[in-house]
Amino acid sequence: MEPSPLDSPAPAEPEVETEHPAEFVAELRRVADRLPERVNIDAQSVEQGLAKLVLTLIELIRRLLEKQAVRRMEGGGLSPEQVEELGLALMKLEEKMAELKEHFGLQDEELNIDLGPIGKLI
Amino acid sequence: MSLYVYCLGDGLSGAAFEGLAGVCGSRVRVLALGSVAAVVSEPGDEAVAADEENLLAHNRVNAAALAVATPLPCRFGTRAAPERLERYVSDKGAALSSALARVRGRVEMSVKLMWKSEGRKTEVESEEGGALRAAAGGADLGAAGAGTAFLLKKRREILGEEGARRRAEEAAAWLASGLGGLAREEAVRSSPSEAIIVRAAHLVERAHVTEYRARLRALAAERADLRLLTSGPWPPYNFSDIG
Repeated sequence: MEPSPLDSPAPAEPEVETEHPAEFVAELRRVADRLPERVNIDAQSVEQGLAKLVLTLIELIRRLLEKQAVRRMEGGGLSPEQVEELGLALMKLEEKMAELKEHFGLQDEELNIDLGPIGKLI
Repeated sequence: MSLYVYCLGDGLSGAAFEGLAGVCGSRVRVLALGSVAAVVSEPGDEAVAADEENLLAHNRVNAAALAVATPLPCRFGTRAAPERLERYVSDKGAALSSALARVRGRVEMSVKLMWKSEGRKTEVESEEGGALRAAAGGADLGAAGAGTAFLLKKRREILGEEGARRRAEEAAAWLASGLGGLAREEAVRSSPSEAIIVRAAHLVERAHVTEYRARLRALAAERADLRLLTSGPWPPYNFSDIG
């Protein structure tokens, strides 16, 4: 494969251009601070990793249930009593999730898997 | 012995990397593998820490390659034994040629979009009153108990998320349309719930980089509600389908 004559030398060094540097710097710094440290394979971190994975899936299902409940409420097919009952059940589920997250020391943003080019799971 | 691999490319020679420190301060060299060359170093068998210094070193080497010819950059942390790398290049020869042809003469440019104010996120709340009465057969849910209040709060959140996603998609579409043919290819990620709502990478002809920047400046002036950050040229990290 010969080098192509079209492959002309690169333009100058990368340049960053914005009229709002402070906001972008602050945001990008915040994102960089969230990057995970190197994973340490020990009993504690493995247990927490498993809990994180399981809770992420439960969280996904919980949010789908909430959406479904809201759609049913909007559809007008439920009586006020049924809406109240459904809401209470989902509220308790959310409270239980909060307890589990606290038990395993997990934050909300940790219960989301970054799927790369297709975005985040939740 | 395991090699740390920065990129693959054609038209690369050792001269472009002379005196350049790679990850962990290792010496960078070019390994000829037939028609394709790999830019590599030997930082030792320890895992390369994903810290600022090494990340910058990884990009510095790829940027040096970009100054000579557009390479196919590898993901940070890519390692391979010499014989395995040779086999990979040999097995994937046609695919690599095609991937190199895709980026040849082009560079990656990046655009990030942020909303100018947080106000847009809350506009959905104002339309709630009428919609709530329609729910549950016209019953006045606003006066009901804790469970109903919980569902109403969730409805607000869901509507807010859907609105934010729609607006982020519209912003991404506006950007793509405004750039027209200047971006030969694009890789776009929308994150409506985050401050930076769109992260777009564009594959741009080297000869059109100045025009691309000027077009973005003009686009930025069109939208008072959006803030743009442009950067580049970068090695085509988002258009290099190799490890």
